[in-house]
Amino acid sequence: MTGAKAAPTGSIFDPGLLSRCISCGFCLAACPTYALTGDETSSPRGRIALMRALDSGTLPPGDPTVAEQSSFCLGCRACEPVCPAGVQYGELLEQWRGYQWAGRGRPLIVRLLIFAAERSWAHRIAGRLRGAARTPEAASRPALMLGCFERSLYPKVSRSALALAPELAVPSRQGCCGALHAHNGEPERGKQLAVQLGAALPGQIVTTSGGCAAHLSAVLGRDRVAELSEYLQGRVTGQVLVGNRLARVALQDSCHLRNGLGVWREPRALLSAVAEYVELPGAGRCCGAAGTYSLVRPRDSRRVLDPKLDAIEAAGIDYVVAVNPGCLRQLQQGLRRRKSPVRAVHIADLLRLAAG
Amino acid sequence: MPDELRIPQPVLTELRAIAGPGNLRLAAGELAVYAGDATPLIRAMPDAVIAPADAEQVARILRLATEHRIPVVPRGAGSNLCAGTVPVNGGIVLSTVRMNRILEVAPDEMLARAETAVTTQALNDAAAPHGLFYPPDPGSHTVSTIGGNVATCAGGLRGLKYGVTRNYVLGLTVVLPTGEIVRTGGRLWKDVAGYDLTRLITGSEGTLGVITEVTVALLPDPVTSRTGLAYFGSLAQAGRAVAGILAAGVIPSTLEFLDRKCMDAVEQYAHLGLHSDAGALLLFGDDGDEAVVARSFERIAAACMESGAMAIQTAGDITESEALLTARRCTLPALSRLGSLTILEDASVPRPRLAEMVARIDAIAARHQVTMATFGHAGDGNLHPTCVLESASDTDGIARAERAFADVFDTAIELGGTITGEHGVGAAKLPYLARRLGTGQMDLIRRIKTAFDPAGILNPGKLGS
Repeated sequence: MTGAKAAPTGSIFDPGLLSRCISCGFCLAACPTYALTGDETSSPRGRIALMRALDSGTLPPGDPTVAEQSSFCLGCRACEPVCPAGVQYGELLEQWRGYQWAGRGRPLIVRLLIFAAERSWAHRIAGRLRGAARTPEAASRPALMLGCFERSLYPKVSRSALALAPELAVPSRQGCCGALHAHNGEPERGKQLAVQLGAALPGQIVTTSGGCAAHLSAVLGRDRVAELSEYLQGRVTGQVLVGNRLARVALQDSCHLRNGLGVWREPRALLSAVAEYVELPGAGRCCGAAGTYSLVRPRDSRRVLDPKLDAIEAAGIDYVVAVNPGCLRQLQQGLRRRKSPVRAVHIADLLRLAAG
Repeated sequence: MPDELRIPQPVLTELRAIAGPGNLRLAAGELAVYAGDATPLIRAMPDAVIAPADAEQVARILRLATEHRIPVVPRGAGSNLCAGTVPVNGGIVLSTVRMNRILEVAPDEMLARAETAVTTQALNDAAAPHGLFYPPDPGSHTVSTIGGNVATCAGGLRGLKYGVTRNYVLGLTVVLPTGEIVRTGGRLWKDVAGYDLTRLITGSEGTLGVITEVTVALLPDPVTSRTGLAYFGSLAQAGRAVAGILAAGVIPSTLEFLDRKCMDAVEQYAHLGLHSDAGALLLFGDDGDEAVVARSFERIAAACMESGAMAIQTAGDITESEALLTARRCTLPALSRLGSLTILEDASVPRPRLAEMVARIDAIAARHQVTMATFGHAGDGNLHPTCVLESASDTDGIARAERAFADVFDTAIELGGTITGEHGVGAAKLPYLARRLGTGQMDLIRRIKTAFDPAGILNPGKLGS
């Protein structure tokens, strides 16, 4: 994955990436927005046709369909594992948004979030106030990455992770990984931040967020990064009980963890070890959180989420487990709206509960 | 925007009223994505895209189009490989996607009835709980629509044993270009009342009518299904093995071959640990009762060994079998990793001429200096010679590939074969069709076309044009 510098001709996309698609259409079945609309325009193949039209000048820079589709796409990358031609759609989308969302093209809420993410001192203070995990610095140990928003939204998650893996160092001085930037129109800044984080945490980086794991891996290399469920393979103990019986739990995959890194067996293995695991139909499909998507396009986000909530409620489960804070928030809010008895939890918290 | 709006404003207003405002698309970007399908190189912009909800709306659209002489191109998932859904004369692309309900699965009659845009996979998923399945399995079955399968008479890997789409279509609801809604056939295996219009429309590639509903026959799901591989030094040897297998009285459910170049591409993609020295690979499979499958496998293995197989490998379980079949299904896209442009062809020859045909294809590729890899359905003589080019802008290479394919078609016809086994004619092969059919049949086809579509509005520039 090389830098997406604009070519001298002013081309927006890496031509090698854009030419890969052979338009076979195998991606259509995997795409959540195509499932919503049935419209070729909102399929990966259709979006690549739009990228090509934009790149070649067949469509003008301000074309409204092109702008709308660059935003309507969830960026879940479900099209990648099913693509036999090996199109790196996620990379193309980053380049597309980098062009489309430059300057004032970016939604206001995204600008606010990026502004907030850039204030690393604020996260440090918020993390301390909210009681996120913290240990002395230690360069030689694997380090737990503290997600910038997770620290204040879900401070318990890092404490659970540390309880499960006490050998982890958790320095509070660490920045944003840059996934937010990369997915929202600032691919270069996204890479820069990942490199900086890599320097701040020089050993193996363990993360409780599938989205951060995928972005960090793409920049720093796969061997530098482990998502928590990967890291904890084979070392969980205990059981999660509800009353006298084993809890019934299901997983909601993190899209980038599953589609970007191919990690989906690992969290299932852990959950099966401590509870009765139930595979939800469509567990691998996007929940609609999709990073900033649930804030930028709340209506579409809910349309994607709704069938998933139906499946969760029909499955007779006690917990639905997330491996990414964005998905956790999305599921919690959705279940709360429905007054559902099912609880959404982060995998770190559930495993902590099992360990007792 | 298109250079000039070729559809008059009042017609657009009426179209919008028919399908509902959100289902008529006119923006330049929305039109651009409907300019092509899975066929490389052939693109043309439509003037409008419309997605009607039912046969009644389709009828109103077609009547309007006939009245105003506006081309209409029906489109399912756009996964065809003959540019069958490219609007070569502009006009309206009629997307069937909203007609996507499964209407019934009737286990006692062993059939299913579905609206046209139900995917092949979804149809199979609906049949599975009843212990039934729909045999035709085109490579794109996860996305292709059943209506599109019928329109192109799609084939697939199971063709030798189970036949192709036409063998399963019992009845159709079709909207004619003049607006009549016709129901052909029905729910019966035996029914000879009248011309077999169901079969005529099957494979008519959206030139005679718009299919809105399909009734297909289902078969009992086989108890066991197994897959294996045999490696050969050359394709000629593999060809002899195919003859040997069939002579031994086995009709395998799958009998596919890949040449060396295809094996390399698939291996790169799927990492199956394919033999690295073999010149050809034969993928075989059978399904049915366990004992029957076991006996088939013994006979297939014996026939392969007699023809000089280097090694035979059988899949241990369903997951492994599926991996092998998936790898075969994705041969084409995997080949595309070798270059930026892949042009795939679809010639068929009588089974005994298969090895000869492959050798002739190699010679043609060398003569025209193009890279050609060949895979296909050994059991039914259907080959997919595929030309891989470095770049989509290599006009000289494309021209050489086109000359090579013209030779491939002529060779196929010379050997008693055809220019397309399962992908269809569409816009891509119309120029070669007369070579295969001759003037008598071409004239008859045009007369049939005129009987259905007097104004010539339905998918013009394809069959019957």
